[in-house]
Amino acid sequence: MPVTKILTAGIGEVDMRGIGAYRQRGGYKQWERVVRELQPSDVLDLAEKSGLRGRGGAAFPTARKWSFLPSDKQLRYLVCNCDEAEPGTFKDHMLLEDAPHLVLEGMLIGAYGIACHHAFIYIRGEFKRGYEIFCAALEEARNAGYLGRSIFGGVYDLEITVHRGAGAYICGEETGLLNSLEGKRGEPRLKPPFPAVEGLYGMPTVVNNVETLAYLVPILERGAQWFASVGTERSKGYKIVSVSGHVRNPGNYEVALGTTVREIIELAGGLRPGRKFMAVQPGGGSSACIFEEHLNLPYDYESMTKAGSMLGSGGFVVFDDSTDFVNAAYNLVRFFAHESCGQCTPCREGGSWMERVLERLVQGRGIPGDYEMLLRVSGSITGLNLCALGDSIEPFLKSVMLRFPDQFKSRVAAEAGRQW
Amino acid sequence: MVNLTIDGVPVSVPKETLLVEAAKTVKQEIPIYCYHTKLGPAGLCRICVVEIEGMPKLQIACNTAVADGMVVRTRGERVEAARAVVLELFLVNHPLDCPICDKGGECDLQDYAMAYARGTSDVADSKLSKPKAVDLGPTIVLDEERCIVCQRCVRFDDLIADQRQLVVKDRGAHDIIATATNRPYRHNFTGNVTELCPVGALTSKTYRFKSRPWDLNRTQTTCTQCAVGCQQFADVRYGKLLRTMLVEDDQISGGWLCDRGRYNVGFYESPERLMQPLYRKGGGFVQIGWDDALILWAKAIRDALEDRGPASVGAIGGGRLTNEEAFALQHVFRRLSVKNLDWRAGLQRQASPGAYGAPLAAIDGAQVIAIVGASLVERAPVLWLRVRKAALQNGARLVYAQSAQEARAAAGEATRVALIWDGVDLGIGKSYAAAFADVTELSTLIASEQGNARGAEAMGMLPSVGPGYAPVPPGLDTYAMLDRGKTGNLSVLSIFGANPARNGAHPTAVCEALDAVPFVVVSELFMTETASLATLVLPAMGAFEKHGTTTNLSGELLPVNPSLQSPEFVRSDFEMLCGLADQLGVTMPSLEEIDRAVIANIAKVPTDFTFGDERFASTAPRNGVVEGRTILSGGGTWLHDPLMAGMRA
Repeated sequence: MPVTKILTAGIGEVDMRGIGAYRQRGGYKQWERVVRELQPSDVLDLAEKSGLRGRGGAAFPTARKWSFLPSDKQLRYLVCNCDEAEPGTFKDHMLLEDAPHLVLEGMLIGAYGIACHHAFIYIRGEFKRGYEIFCAALEEARNAGYLGRSIFGGVYDLEITVHRGAGAYICGEETGLLNSLEGKRGEPRLKPPFPAVEGLYGMPTVVNNVETLAYLVPILERGAQWFASVGTERSKGYKIVSVSGHVRNPGNYEVALGTTVREIIELAGGLRPGRKFMAVQPGGGSSACIFEEHLNLPYDYESMTKAGSMLGSGGFVVFDDSTDFVNAAYNLVRFFAHESCGQCTPCREGGSWMERVLERLVQGRGIPGDYEMLLRVSGSITGLNLCALGDSIEPFLKSVMLRFPDQFKSRVAAEAGRQW
Repeated sequence: MVNLTIDGVPVSVPKETLLVEAAKTVKQEIPIYCYHTKLGPAGLCRICVVEIEGMPKLQIACNTAVADGMVVRTRGERVEAARAVVLELFLVNHPLDCPICDKGGECDLQDYAMAYARGTSDVADSKLSKPKAVDLGPTIVLDEERCIVCQRCVRFDDLIADQRQLVVKDRGAHDIIATATNRPYRHNFTGNVTELCPVGALTSKTYRFKSRPWDLNRTQTTCTQCAVGCQQFADVRYGKLLRTMLVEDDQISGGWLCDRGRYNVGFYESPERLMQPLYRKGGGFVQIGWDDALILWAKAIRDALEDRGPASVGAIGGGRLTNEEAFALQHVFRRLSVKNLDWRAGLQRQASPGAYGAPLAAIDGAQVIAIVGASLVERAPVLWLRVRKAALQNGARLVYAQSAQEARAAAGEATRVALIWDGVDLGIGKSYAAAFADVTELSTLIASEQGNARGAEAMGMLPSVGPGYAPVPPGLDTYAMLDRGKTGNLSVLSIFGANPARNGAHPTAVCEALDAVPFVVVSELFMTETASLATLVLPAMGAFEKHGTTTNLSGELLPVNPSLQSPEFVRSDFEMLCGLADQLGVTMPSLEEIDRAVIANIAKVPTDFTFGDERFASTAPRNGVVEGRTILSGGGTWLHDPLMAGMRA
């Protein structure tokens, strides 16, 4: 049973928050090697050959994103996205609190890889503990000379700024994050222009997830080939899956991509006794559910997409037969409506409207036509939005409405007619 | 040029043209809310989506640039379904306010819903409730429920007005528009948001519940409240002026109005308006008829000419009159050999830039814009918007310096420089003209205190300059006339559309001088400080009641078109001058001759002078700075506009 510990090695066993413990396990050796022996293009090359894809949810090939930076613009920024808020995802939370130096080393290598001299980390406001732990780690690293001017006595300078969010999911969207970082409302920007061309303060910027950057460390250590030899044809390497819901041992589990859905559920202790599997939301709150017939599918980007869902952030929520799917759908739609920034019509108005309809359904005050209306409206919103939040409203809702229609249709009130 | 097809029609447009603009060239309407030609794309409303062959998702036309070979469809099932969805979603929470909403009849939501929305609604829940009739500031009422959060107002406040007072507060479906500081929304351009707002969320207080647009008679005229000369629409119903609106494609204003031009129009109906000639008797005024007024006026002049000669008679005015009136004014008095003529009743000395005088377009292309003297945002507000646009969009550098040398140094190697001066201090003007003489393409403009200042000068309302800037035997300027009055040597002073007792340097001294002149005639709309010191007060028409032309600061000849009937016994300055000429046996030229003279004199671009020329010298005191004036301090009208109560500084 493939439980592999790459990023998660030592977590829960050893306290690696201090630089001493981290260095004892080989920490910062790769950073020193990178600065002393490698060029930025070498790092980019390794990232490309490893097949590393973004682990925050969008799964964009990391090296390809880096290559979009205009080569003639020297001033560029790296932003580490630690605004983890995708429902069901808590891997970055763990990395930040339990392996802050690993996160930092990943940032340093990533910054070097794109030849930037100022990097930022945007930490979700609610992660106060993680923020304090990370700041302490940053201080230690600075005192050890791992960042600042003339690192290791060479020509490379790097400064890191830590910024705290203030409680908005939409600030995990990369351009919403950039606006928030600049002190503005965390409202996503129109793309084009893309951040690689016009990002933070209008400068070329790369935004990478915490886990993505963290994987640079083992890739540097063990080689791109090692990372690429694991996983499937287009989904290389490892992924931390945050398993929760109706399993016996919810938690973060690091697996090789390609491990089956069933295997992941078993890793987390399987279902509770006497319970039957109904559905799993494999990729965070924005993903559609997959069902019994998908249990043997490999957990990788392509297979999840082919099954009508996505791997996304790796937020893996299991639902057994005790689930009230109307309530679950209401919960999620309410989340998206609440977190909508409000800029674009479909998400703002559609999300709030569907929330109210689902609220009535949960209370058993549905009216004939609600079921069809929910499917119609959620479907028409998809593809029409300024950012991906609006597109996230439909997947879960539609998948469970189509799979468990009776749960929804039975919530219609006994008497027909409008209910105010 | 880029070639593409829109709905099968071939289109050829410059590179980087947005699809939403390209579609206009072939008259394919793409509905828009958040996009605006003057504000650029925002990508928020999503109603402008179109189908582009080769792209699976519908794309917003407002943020997509044209590309060679692009095949675009603005019609068809997918696009129409998407538009219907967007409109349906707007209407989920939008209140059914049409019957009481000021925007009804000119509302983009009504119009696009009629064109593109489903005919039915699936909404079975109550609408979100938000504050209505919010008193946003002195000019604007905000209805949060009607707002579709297109953010045009927020972007206007940021990109155009440079104020950032309007912001979006809260999040998601609870988004509302508010002021950033919770203080009243107040600056010189607030009224524009009522026209930018596609729905009835932002409306003008002065127009609230007044009318429906189809009941209004619309006249285009030129605003005369400052020297920019913005085109504006006067909307009148049953003879009452209900509102004024901007002219979208106006090349002069760029499609904006300042709040003074837009809102300072209620005075036409003010109960304090002068309705009848007034003659001083005892301690106060008595009403008299026009015949008597003209006879008294003419007699005073005739007597003065006989007893003490033309040097004892003077006339001030022109800057707030039409070109025709200014021409007639100097004509009548010069025919009487009177040389004491001056339009300047404030601090300004020169209004005509001369040799390097330039059109407004010179600002758009300038690399450096140097502003000398008074604040543009108060003097010529919409000109300030144009300057700001040049800085923001075309990279022009703004220079404010302590001296001409400093400004010249700051301009550096720039070859296209625009100098905007307030025309007050001739010495300063001269030093700037000299310092910038070596610039390859120098453009000069003077932002005047009064709307038709440049026109008054071109018509010859100056003591030593006649029509068309021709030299004439010199007379006294305004302050010299007042000085002569103080010594008892000025017998008759006629003042037209000027209020030196308030706007002049050292108002106390002005009042003393006016007191000492035995016969003062004032043509005015209200009992101003100057009128209250007069012997004879003549009730005058305002710009919306008369016909003629005015000259803006860049020398453009602009029409003044009447939209209102003046009160019965109120006359235009032109009519007054004709009456006076009649009494004194002066022949007035025919209307055609006056028109020709006006056109010829405006067309004359003098090249023999520039800033600070001697012919504009006057004895006005150098250090008369008027404190705390805002754009609503000009003229005498704003003080008497009951609707402006909330805006007075």
